[in-house]
Amino acid sequence: MTCSELERLFASGASSEDARRHRDACATCRATGADADVAEEIAATLRAPEMPSSLRASLIDIPRRTVSCEGAERLLPLAVENELLEDDERRLSSHLSRCGGCSEAAATLLAVRDLAEPIAPPWLAGRLAVARPEKRRRSLGWLFGPKSVIVVAYGAAVVVMLLGFNPADLARRVGSGELGQSTRAAVLVAESSITDRLGALQEKVARTLAVWKGHAGGYGRAAVSNVVSLIWKTSGSKQREVERPRNRDGRGALRERETTTTSWRV
Amino acid sequence: MSAEEKALVDRCRQGEDDAWRLFVDQFGQKVYSVAYHFTLNREDAEELSQEIFLKTFENLHRYDGTFPLVAWLLSLSRNLCIDRYRRRKRERSFRFVSDDAVAPLLKSDDDPAAEALKKERSKILFSVLAEIPEDLAEILVLRDLDGLAYDEIGKALDLPDGTVKSRLFRARAEVARRIRERHERRGSAGAFQALAVAAGGVL
Repeated sequence: MTCSELERLFASGASSEDARRHRDACATCRATGADADVAEEIAATLRAPEMPSSLRASLIDIPRRTVSCEGAERLLPLAVENELLEDDERRLSSHLSRCGGCSEAAATLLAVRDLAEPIAPPWLAGRLAVARPEKRRRSLGWLFGPKSVIVVAYGAAVVVMLLGFNPADLARRVGSGELGQSTRAAVLVAESSITDRLGALQEKVARTLAVWKGHAGGYGRAAVSNVVSLIWKTSGSKQREVERPRNRDGRGALRERETTTTSWRV
Repeated sequence: MSAEEKALVDRCRQGEDDAWRLFVDQFGQKVYSVAYHFTLNREDAEELSQEIFLKTFENLHRYDGTFPLVAWLLSLSRNLCIDRYRRRKRERSFRFVSDDAVAPLLKSDDDPAAEALKKERSKILFSVLAEIPEDLAEILVLRDLDGLAYDEIGKALDLPDGTVKSRLFRARAEVARRIRERHERRGSAGAFQALAVAAGGVL
């Protein structure tokens, strides 16, 4: 026979008077309650053991023996650079031996440091020494190449024209003596240079267009020829079909030989 | 209260030696008591206390002040106690509790006979605690031996107060029942009655 009413009263924080009343009325809870009282009394006679003074001193010294996770965050960057003081190194090491998260972070950071210092293969130094000057020359040389000069000149001419500069107008002004002597000479040189360049450009464009026209003409002629042939083939077949002799049965079916011949003709 | 404790923790985090000394004086005895009740051995209790405080110092940034510092300390150290002592040493030490183990727990008594009775009673208590379910024994130790409040135990173990009280009641009843049965099996029911009377119980 079980009754948990006394336990319920105790758990709900009911008054001791309520518990006493139930215990008086219920034999089961009277025995259970008595047992509980005995255990409580036994435990109450025991006291907490006194903390030794040596332990207290040791506990107070803890900040000098380890660091917190926050402290570890501040020390780890220095550890990676091998710039930790001896005491800090010992404190950090003590912390890492107990803290999985910081230990993992430290291992990762140190691994990154190792990655940043790869060991070069013995042949690499010589290869780099040979490759370096050539690379430098190549990197700057393209600026002074003939292609670059042409591109810059064309670019300048286009910019000048876009800005509204008319070489013919300049030539007219030169002819009418509106400019000074030295300016005129410089303008003449520039005019001839620009004219030459523009002329060359114009000529090149014309040549390119002619080539493309030729290609287009060639392709066009070929296309027209194909179309004409196709039309001719189709209309020719029909014509022959009309002109061909009828079979004896009068239904107009072609003989095998005749069909083949017609195809070959086309 | 928690706000004051949070302020103390913040000062400790900032590296104030005085704050940490105050922290140790305020909670050192409590932690040592918990550790001793787990281990029933002076050296092990000191070692465990060191570990608990080291862990506490390294994790001070995790305390947010939402519940009592004692409960936070207990919850932080609980896994450490379980991992290192409960499964291995506690069971063994609790089943064979020595006089030396219980001596630091006993209040001094001028009467040698009463002293011997208390010692015997304490040994029986710890021996029975090793036999009952862990969740019951833990509550009884924290409440009756360590003197923690219900809400502190509840916060530390993540249990409602009602559950803490209910388990405590069952733990006490179970411990007392087992003590009685043990003595009855030995034909020494009278001894148990004497024990109960000495403890001030009602039987």
